[in-house]
Amino acid sequence: MIVPFGHLLILAGILFVIGLFCALARRSLIMILLGVEIMLNAAAIAFVGGSLHWHDMEGQTIVLFIAAVAATEVSVGLAMIVHVFRKTGSFDPVLFDLLK
Amino acid sequence: MRWMLLGPEVYTFLAALGFLGISLAGRPNSGRDHLAALCLSGVGVLLAASALSEDAILFSEVYRVDLFSQVFKLLLSVGLFLIVCICGEVREIREENRSDFFALIFFCTLAMMLLVSGNHLLTLYLSLELSSYSLYVLVSLRRARDMGVEAGIKFFLVGIFASALMLFGMAVLYAMTRTMNLNALNGALHGMMGQPLVLLGVVLTLSGFLFKLACFPFHLWVPDVYQGAANEVTAYLAAVSKLAGMAAILRFVASVGQGGADLVQVLLVFSVASMTLGNLAAITQQDLKRLLGYSTVAHAGYVLIGVLTLSASGYASVVFYALALLVMKFTAFLVVVKVAGNGTNLHINQLAGLHRRSPVLAMALMVSLFSLAGIPPTVGFTGKFLIFVAAMEKGHFALVLIAMANVLISLYYYLLVIKAAYLLEPEGETGPIAVSAPTKVLATALVGAMVLAGFYPYPFMEIAQAAVGVLP
Repeated sequence: MIVPFGHLLILAGILFVIGLFCALARRSLIMILLGVEIMLNAAAIAFVGGSLHWHDMEGQTIVLFIAAVAATEVSVGLAMIVHVFRKTGSFDPVLFDLLK
Repeated sequence: MRWMLLGPEVYTFLAALGFLGISLAGRPNSGRDHLAALCLSGVGVLLAASALSEDAILFSEVYRVDLFSQVFKLLLSVGLFLIVCICGEVREIREENRSDFFALIFFCTLAMMLLVSGNHLLTLYLSLELSSYSLYVLVSLRRARDMGVEAGIKFFLVGIFASALMLFGMAVLYAMTRTMNLNALNGALHGMMGQPLVLLGVVLTLSGFLFKLACFPFHLWVPDVYQGAANEVTAYLAAVSKLAGMAAILRFVASVGQGGADLVQVLLVFSVASMTLGNLAAITQQDLKRLLGYSTVAHAGYVLIGVLTLSASGYASVVFYALALLVMKFTAFLVVVKVAGNGTNLHINQLAGLHRRSPVLAMALMVSLFSLAGIPPTVGFTGKFLIFVAAMEKGHFALVLIAMANVLISLYYYLLVIKAAYLLEPEGETGPIAVSAPTKVLATALVGAMVLAGFYPYPFMEIAQAAVGVLP
């Protein structure tokens, strides 16, 4: 293996933190969704890296499942976001304050 | 072929597909759908009961059918049946969405049945996602669409965030140990729990389960979702979906947690934060569903006490508490659904004079709230007692003391609700609430069950002990 295992984990970690920051700090529903997608991809990289490191196919199979879950997430999420956008004309989650 | 091995799962799947077909055919008839759901879920309870003694490890060890999973499948089936009982007229869900509603609660129950049997991190993750996605849609289905979608989107954002954390935790665990099978993890992690990366992996993986349990720090969605969802959906969320979360966290912690002193510290912080935040926030609530939501957060804290003992008696107390919570929460929400006859949210002041408008419902509300608060001789008291005893055995004295203080705080706001139902006089003229005979029987039976199981809990304790006997 050319790329050392540690480097892969560091890449996954950095990507995970970028996604985490994006999901927590941005005030737009689309960007929050995107941040979570980045976090999922970070997990996928860690799985593939682990799979190469251990010479074990399980990790690569799981990435296929992650892709399917990510697609579901986007479809359900965008359906709700579109409804909300029609109502408020904005992607800002702070505008939802019916419930308190 | 031993068909009964997967009997409850296959049956629930077929029932859900049936409702999906009705929904696609596009001939809504809510009376027929409700009757079908009632029959199907009733047969489902019998099926789950007859599959109680099955035992096998299936599909290259990713799926485990044992007494623990079968007991929880029975509880889930009973929970589904009870919820369907009160779904006769789901006013807050549009007529054309009723068959979708039944399809989704059957799919969600199926996902939870898979969750309690999961013996592999991927099985746990996928079944958790399936149940969460069904719930996101169920919550958004409310007739007052803006309220429903707002609740749905808050639920969804916290949920996907928790599941992304969980997935990364699983990836770290896989990278460290080469395995995602819970049995193999149990062996592989032996002596590795001191490593920071392993601890990080385990704690991140827990976040998905904590979200399901509505525990700190993933409790933010609870009050808004409880308020924004239709009453029946909230009842399902509160009474049934928590069961699966408890089972999953028990199986996971029992498999990976042995010898994890740091893990116990983390769980301890979550537990204390969860019950304190939940109870303090509940005091000021005026909407009964929001109040019960915060009480759910507090109860997640009590449940974690049993989990963090890492002992068989602690696990058994959690299983017993799961049973108790199912009955107590369902009874409280039965009253919410029936008193708010038109499906709107229930303000605590609207309970005024309930003891005259409907004595049965007032009694059911009182007993369920006393049980939630943990007053003897109800099942809630026995459950809390078992959890605290298990924690004392492990020397968590300070934790039990904090929990006791929390029980006192919770008693205050439960008593406020009971005061509204029994002592306050209604402002305007309000007629009696029409309660059908089956509902009266159901409410009386639930009250009887709560008191009886409080007086004589031994058969249930034996089942709980036998169920956790199969955990590693």
